[in-house]
Amino acid sequence: MSDELEKLYQSTYTAVVRFLYRKVWDAERAEDLAQEVFVRALAHRPDKPRAWVFAVAANLARDEARAAVRRKRHLTLLKGDPIAQPTVAPAADDNVEHEEKMASVHEALSTLTPRDREILLLWDAGLSYPEIAAQTGLAVGAVGTTLARARRRLVDAHDRQQNRTRLGDNAAHS
Amino acid sequence: MRHIPEDELHAYLDQGLSRSQAVEIESHLAGCSSCRATRDAIAALRDRTTALLATLSPPRRLPPAFDTLREQAADRVSTRRRQMRLGVWAASLVAAVGLGWTASSLIGPGRTESVAARETTAAPQVAAPQVAAPRPAVAVAGADTGGPRPAVDRTPKATPVRLQPTPRPPAARRALQKAREDSIRAAKLAVLDPAPVLELTPLEERGSEQGEPLEGMWRTMSWDGAQDETGRSVPHIDGLPVLRVQVQATAQSKRPLMVVAQQLADGQVIQTIEGPAADVSELLSRRGGTSADGKLGVTVTEATPGIDQAMAMQLGDRMLAITGALPSDSLRAMIRRINAEMRSK
Repeated sequence: MSDELEKLYQSTYTAVVRFLYRKVWDAERAEDLAQEVFVRALAHRPDKPRAWVFAVAANLARDEARAAVRRKRHLTLLKGDPIAQPTVAPAADDNVEHEEKMASVHEALSTLTPRDREILLLWDAGLSYPEIAAQTGLAVGAVGTTLARARRRLVDAHDRQQNRTRLGDNAAHS
Repeated sequence: MRHIPEDELHAYLDQGLSRSQAVEIESHLAGCSSCRATRDAIAALRDRTTALLATLSPPRRLPPAFDTLREQAADRVSTRRRQMRLGVWAASLVAAVGLGWTASSLIGPGRTESVAARETTAAPQVAAPQVAAPRPAVAVAGADTGGPRPAVDRTPKATPVRLQPTPRPPAARRALQKAREDSIRAAKLAVLDPAPVLELTPLEERGSEQGEPLEGMWRTMSWDGAQDETGRSVPHIDGLPVLRVQVQATAQSKRPLMVVAQQLADGQVIQTIEGPAADVSELLSRRGGTSADGKLGVTVTEATPGIDQAMAMQLGDRMLAITGALPSDSLRAMIRRINAEMRSK
């Protein structure tokens, strides 16, 4: 039984980290949460471990977002408390380019409704239609419809943004 | 023949259709160039989405060895048992207390007769399994004093919950013994018993040495200071000596998070915690453990292994919790009493 989980771990750990990363936007935190997910899986031994793992990951990410809001509230009380600033390493040019690309996709993704985004991310994490349906409460038949809309919106939002940037660049040059 | 809707083509390419549906679509595609073009466009859209999302990937690192996780899970299973007990606890508390109870005002500070205190010491006798019948002593007592005290049977019954038998220290056993005697004379005692004389054992010392160092946000206040600051609604059990009041301001609400430590006759300490629900549950979840980031100094002390218990209840966005080295039924009885008092007002 735990061999099955070990196989799942080897095959989906990266996908779980990626799925979480796209929700918490912090690589280390995403790894911590992913490990937590598998520790829980070992303790609970779910029947459908793959779907279970992503369901728990989604819940942890949601809790994480709530806790972050709460932390912010507490931090405002601690005047003069040195809040860790993200260290910005002087990045190489191609690194900068990648960061920009990432930021623009991130922004495009944020224009989707939470539900569309969730379903797109679950699909991208490798879940099947029935698994997505079970996790989100959607009918299996509606998964395709949702994905069609989510993909279209993501690509459209991204294209619009690129056009804006290009227009902005042209304006700056003229 | 109708053309294939786009979402079906998505599902088809995603292999989200049944075999028969897929065959149907394939046979249509074979004879319809327009749908084939749509399919190709959708396939391209799909690929672009995947490519875009691929940029949102964290740096790849090797996962930790699976055995490390296995060990963590083994540790977890043993602590889970305790958490489950707490869960059952909270549920039974909600059943016991019902609605109409306000966390903010517990028992008014002006009362001289310390009903709650006596209830506390006498509580083991009210132990859950046999509590199904209303306790006549209380009803008699209410009649005797003429006070507006409600009969206990108005209180919703606690769901009897069987907890693992917990070892009691000699002090608790003495309290139990005393409680039995008390219950025999309860009707009279309600009138004659003066407020119990509770001795302060040098607990200040024990408290400061066992309590974790408080972060700057916590303030230890005098009883009067805390009463003034909160508009006389410091959560506490009337009639028990207060050892310590700690207050933490909260950002959006005027009412702070408060922890009040009080001592029972046999020296045990109970703490009443009241504040925004999120903060209280965070405190509870950290009790006994080390405070991970020290943001909320954990103040729950006196955790005698095996009998340390907590109950919490939520009302709106506030939560009240009572913790202490007490048998669960004592706390339950105490809360029931508080609830009855509240309703009589």
